[in-house]
Amino acid sequence: MARSRRRPFLSRVVEFKPGERAVACFFFIYFFLITAPYYVIKPIRNQSYLDQLGDERLPLAYFLTAVLMGFIVSFHSRLQVLLSRKILIVSSLLLFFLNICLFWWLFQQKWSWVPVGFWVWANIFAVVLVTQFWMLVNDVFNPREAKRLIGFIGSGGQLGAILGSLLVGSLARTKAFGVLLLIAAVILSIAVLAVLRIFNLQKKGQLAEEVEERWQKERPGPTPKVGFRDALETTRKSVYLKLLAGIMLVTLIVSTLIDWQFNSVVDNRVAGGSSLASFFGYFNAGAMAFAFLFQLFLTSPIIRRFGIRMTLLFYPVILLFCAAGIGTIAYASILPAILIKASDKSLAYSLNQSVRELLYIPISPEQKFKSKIFIDMFVNRFAKGLGAVLLWLLLASFPKTTAIRAISLAVIGFIAIWIYLNLRGSREYANLVKEKLELKWERGDKLVAEKMDVDFTRLVFDTVESKNRSSVLYAMHLFDMIKQDKLTPEVKKLISYKEDEVRVSSLGTLIEQAEIGLGPASQDELSEDVLKKEVAEIMALDVYQEVVKSHIEKTLEDRSEASTIARMEAAKAIGLMDSRAPAAEKLADLLEDDSVEVSRYAMESAGRLKRKEDIPSLISKLKNPVLREDASNALVRFGPIITGTLTDYLADQTEDPEVRRAVPGILARIGTQEAADFLSWELGGAESELAAAIIDALEKIRTEDPHVRFSPSMIKARIFTEVKSLCQNLLGAPEQEARREKKDADSEEKRRAELTWNIFKLLGLIYPQQDMVKAYQNLKTGTKDSVAYALELLDNVLEKDIREAIFPVVEDVPTEERVRRCRALLDSLSGGKRRE
Amino acid sequence: MMKIQPRFKNDIVIFDIEGEIKRSDITDVTLHQLVKEQLDSGRRKILLNFDRVEFIDSFGVGEILASYISTHNLGGKLKLVRISKKLYLIFQVTMLTKVLDIFEDEEAAMKSFF
Repeated sequence: MARSRRRPFLSRVVEFKPGERAVACFFFIYFFLITAPYYVIKPIRNQSYLDQLGDERLPLAYFLTAVLMGFIVSFHSRLQVLLSRKILIVSSLLLFFLNICLFWWLFQQKWSWVPVGFWVWANIFAVVLVTQFWMLVNDVFNPREAKRLIGFIGSGGQLGAILGSLLVGSLARTKAFGVLLLIAAVILSIAVLAVLRIFNLQKKGQLAEEVEERWQKERPGPTPKVGFRDALETTRKSVYLKLLAGIMLVTLIVSTLIDWQFNSVVDNRVAGGSSLASFFGYFNAGAMAFAFLFQLFLTSPIIRRFGIRMTLLFYPVILLFCAAGIGTIAYASILPAILIKASDKSLAYSLNQSVRELLYIPISPEQKFKSKIFIDMFVNRFAKGLGAVLLWLLLASFPKTTAIRAISLAVIGFIAIWIYLNLRGSREYANLVKEKLELKWERGDKLVAEKMDVDFTRLVFDTVESKNRSSVLYAMHLFDMIKQDKLTPEVKKLISYKEDEVRVSSLGTLIEQAEIGLGPASQDELSEDVLKKEVAEIMALDVYQEVVKSHIEKTLEDRSEASTIARMEAAKAIGLMDSRAPAAEKLADLLEDDSVEVSRYAMESAGRLKRKEDIPSLISKLKNPVLREDASNALVRFGPIITGTLTDYLADQTEDPEVRRAVPGILARIGTQEAADFLSWELGGAESELAAAIIDALEKIRTEDPHVRFSPSMIKARIFTEVKSLCQNLLGAPEQEARREKKDADSEEKRRAELTWNIFKLLGLIYPQQDMVKAYQNLKTGTKDSVAYALELLDNVLEKDIREAIFPVVEDVPTEERVRRCRALLDSLSGGKRRE
Repeated sequence: MMKIQPRFKNDIVIFDIEGEIKRSDITDVTLHQLVKEQLDSGRRKILLNFDRVEFIDSFGVGEILASYISTHNLGGKLKLVRISKKLYLIFQVTMLTKVLDIFEDEEAAMKSFF
């Protein structure tokens, strides 16, 4: 019963996918068990240092920490290479456990250097354990999972911090103060069990297989050693990593300056000893309680709602207001010092930490491995050191009373830089997510279009085919190639049956001797230019037109199969003439020929001559599946002038549906802005099959010419229509499964796939097309990680209204949840909210 | 310079053409005029022999076609013999091989009139 009550609560706050709950809960516990001891240690660290050395010496502590951390970073990176993740983490926990016991003993000795050593050690404790924790989180979860779970997992840390702080706050003034460190050690030792449990869950297969693969890949062994220089180089080479390092640097400089302001005010206003430790404990508890609640209820919703870019600005902007307040109004009093420190602390451990970890996710494991060592450990400490030096300089330059104000102004300056770096970093983040997505396959039609000239291939094919049927057709085809400058040596070889057939470059040699049966070969050859000129001049002769027209008329009188070749020759010959030639009038008859072959040749000629009077005949051919392609090719050759006519046919609801469905493809090949505009307009009222053809056409235009623009309102309206259809289909799916009607289910599955693809094609018209294709392909066939990156990309790129419409239908959620989301979406879409 | 010499075999007029038939070398009497003269004199079977023709341009083709039309309109027959490969090729491309009767040798051409 207890379990069943707990589940709904957790499910309300966190969205677990199957197999995630146990792992996420143990990560929560793990984080809790490392932060609770730290928050016991931290107030003792501050109290012991301030009591022993005073706030003036704080920059020394910051500086020493920064310097020593450099060595620790180097040592830790070597250990990461040498040890498996499990051994590294468990042995670190045990080592820190022993360290706490050692410091407990050292404090009993009352040696003056112990607070300095404890300060530095406490910082190492925090950085090493927290870094190891987030490394493991990044190992196990992909961006989507992390985005969902990070709020919950991170709140374990806040809860630990609250508990640890409350322990100090409440026990510091009692006799138990002396054993607080031992309590911290005991809590830390339990963290070992949580870590072992996480690794055990992996072994039992409760984690996804790909997590196992990821661990195997990253596990040390053949991995080369990563030194400081390597880690630095990795960061230096990447703009994104440099930005992350810069953000970390500025954040921590600001944090160091704020920390000094706070400690200085508190040291002067609060009594020392156990009272000071108690104050720090309660302060930390309050700040962390706020951070916890923020993390639990607000972090994930804020990230989901505003995205990485806006979320990154929350933290610095709030600190900017606080710092401006302290710097201008109420400096050196305890309340503003508490306010800014509390804001810094609570936001740093909630929102900022979660977003910062998300920022690492699109980086490759190798880069992450190296850069995280450098940024989280070296830059972290270097920033503190730099902060310490700045403090020294400011304290040396100003009297202590005005130093706080000067430091506030410095904080404001650094926050401005921080905001700038955050904006640049978030832009790079979106680019990296895009790069993570691979194109899974090339589009077949695009490949064909890129690799070959279809019209030319057809001409070659027709030439070869005509060789055995008619020497006249054959000669006309060869002349056609010459006219188009396409009779290259390669093509000659391709057309020839025998190698020795192609001897020289003139066309005459291609005509077979036996076929022609003429007398002695002429010594001189006919150049291709002369041939073109002579043929053009002959065809322009009135006598030629009279003779040929008469011949064609006679040919047309005999529509028998035996005269098919003669009609084909006539159709081909007309295509070589001028459009105003009298014989070209006969094309209308040839277009209506019963023979498919004659009709094909006639359509090709009609496309060349571009006579207006042939357009209706060509459009009527679109009804016939056998002739459709040739008719389309011919109509395409008319070019942009035919756009209006084609659109009239497309818009005419009384027109044959086959004709209407063929028109978008032709307009797509014409590919002008006008064609795109007409198609977008017609998309609005088109029924599903016609809409699919129009969407295909628009996508083709977009692919061919990225400069063509599409009306976002029209495209969005259609996206919502397609989403609506997909929702309705998805809602019907469980019923079909229940009825076990496999045939229906298959056809509906196919329909769903079509609708989904349509949605992504439409998205590609108003967002970067390549990104949308990648997202679609990765969603359709990708691994769990690919799907996650695809969704992350969509999350970052799509506008809110589109995102809210798309996600319910593309996200992989349990059926019940999908049904719920689809219903909600249908209600919303039917309510007219999204009508553009 | 083009030279055209008529010969007569039975009721067939054979024009032996020599040289080049082109626009730039227009002679006083064109091929078409010579054919028309023969048609006017009642002859209806005409054979154009191109054995010694070196070059024919579009003007020359026009002359042949005009002669063909004139002959045809009067119910006669005009045939060609021993045209060059180049011209044959041009006739193929322009589909004139389908309109005009073309022969390899004179004997075969002569027989075809009967």
